[in-house]
Amino acid sequence: MIEAVGLSKHYGAKKAVDDISFSVKPGAVTGFLGPNGAGKSTTMRMIVGLDRPSAGTVTVNGKPYAEHKAPLREVGALLDAKAVHTGRSAVNHLLAIGATHGIGRKRVDEVIALTGLQSVARKRVGGFSLGMGQRLGLAVALLGDPRTLVLDEPVNGLDPEGVIWVRTLARHLASEGRTVLLSSHLMSEMAQTADHIIVLGRGRVVADASVAEILAKASGNAVTVRTPDAERFASLLTSPEVTVTATEPGLLVVAGLPAARIGELAAAERVVLHELTPVAGNLESAYLQLTQDDVEYRAGGAPEGAAQ
Amino acid sequence: MTTTLPHLTFGGILRSEWIKLRSLRSTFWCYSILVFLTVGLGLLFAATFSGMGEMDYDTQQTFAVQAATLSLGMSQLVVCVLGALVITGEYGTGMIRSTLTAVPTRLPALAAKALVFAAVTFVISLVSIVLTMLISAPLLAGNGIEVDLGSAAVWLPLVGAAGYLALIGVLAFSLGTIIRHSAGGIAAVLGLILVVPTIVSVFAVITRAEWVANAQNFLPSNAGARMYAYVSDAAAAVDPMGLNATPLEPWQGALVVVAWVAALLVLAGVLLKRRDA
Repeated sequence: MIEAVGLSKHYGAKKAVDDISFSVKPGAVTGFLGPNGAGKSTTMRMIVGLDRPSAGTVTVNGKPYAEHKAPLREVGALLDAKAVHTGRSAVNHLLAIGATHGIGRKRVDEVIALTGLQSVARKRVGGFSLGMGQRLGLAVALLGDPRTLVLDEPVNGLDPEGVIWVRTLARHLASEGRTVLLSSHLMSEMAQTADHIIVLGRGRVVADASVAEILAKASGNAVTVRTPDAERFASLLTSPEVTVTATEPGLLVVAGLPAARIGELAAAERVVLHELTPVAGNLESAYLQLTQDDVEYRAGGAPEGAAQ
Repeated sequence: MTTTLPHLTFGGILRSEWIKLRSLRSTFWCYSILVFLTVGLGLLFAATFSGMGEMDYDTQQTFAVQAATLSLGMSQLVVCVLGALVITGEYGTGMIRSTLTAVPTRLPALAAKALVFAAVTFVISLVSIVLTMLISAPLLAGNGIEVDLGSAAVWLPLVGAAGYLALIGVLAFSLGTIIRHSAGGIAAVLGLILVVPTIVSVFAVITRAEWVANAQNFLPSNAGARMYAYVSDAAAAVDPMGLNATPLEPWQGALVVVAWVAALLVLAGVLLKRRDA
């Protein structure tokens, strides 16, 4: 169980995390989602005490992380696969971290086997690929057999097999009653792993709901409509409940009306349709809707609002 | 039951820092250079020393102690580099975040790192200095110096030399923790032990002010030199310019170095505790 109350982190005038409150419950995988710079990593760093909150508190299993007698058994954290001395071998890295808690060789060998690092365990970490570094970071997180896992972008750099392994592992750990918080900026990744999602945008909680609820909201069931008479049809369709977006000439995205109803309206108005495709409500579009105002680093090009 | 489950202990943190120290190549190389310098320079001195005619007992013992500690001017630099690297290497690679996640109260990690590094440096320095003394004694005997290996006054500066190296290493470690950057940390400590004494002594010569000459004695490298000086040559070693500066006793020199280390280590601790990792 992780609980944040009024948590904030300011760097000068910039509010990286701005007064957020949330709780992450045991027995489920909670996804921490948001565009780059939304405050996910900063929040995770505050959970394990690496960053000091500017205001508010965050506790793990009832206490601030630093006050636990055995921090590594409370929280296993993968915040940064680069948090390793590059001159040390993987096995010595794990032995050194484990030693602080009296965790010995046996458990180190276990997590090496679990993360598939046997063949490189004695090599210096400096030569590791991104994926190997990520596996080592996961091995460190699992070292204390922790009740809570905090994983920042755990699948970053992993091959497809590794991605599936992490997903299965996260689900397995949650099924054992552990608290699992993992972050991603990819909604598709979350959709396959998480039960519950907390969406961050510009340091604030934009949404905090189960995957099913977020999907339901997203299923304002957008429909793409291709027609040579786009302008007229768009004005016919538009109403307070219906939003029509022209994404390119002759192509409309209609939200708020089922495809069948749009087809009937087109027939009644004698509008020629070249395409009528319901877009399945997906988390990706829900996510984009939720965060569209909160993307800090927008790709250059079209000025804001030009597409509307 | 709960006591058998793994948990954070200071002993465990010490063990962790010991594993970290011995599992890096830089440790091996720095200590190898330290031993090589100590033994090599000492033996070179002992073997090539050409007699200065009849020497009194104290002069003979002074030369013997100098042979065993001749390398210190250089080996202190090696120890300082390693001392800074022990912590700045963690900042440079990001390892510090793993360290502070495992020990979120932070100060025990700093203390354990300093202790392990100081202990290992002390033992390796002492062994190589004593070894140098034992090997060079017969060589010196052939060059007109009878080393009195039964005298505490001969052994104390050898222990003091090892103690100085351990302390100056922790001073470098503290500066490394404060600066958090390898090049910056090393530059700061080398500046403090090489550049600052030169500037102060030039200043002392120009102004001929007694307080400046006295202030020199309180710089870590000058005060530290008193820890490994054979006591009877104290005045000559500290007052080369003849400025009548009051030399420190060896124990006073040790206290001054300890004070420097303590002040910087406390500052390092305060900053480590306060700053985001």
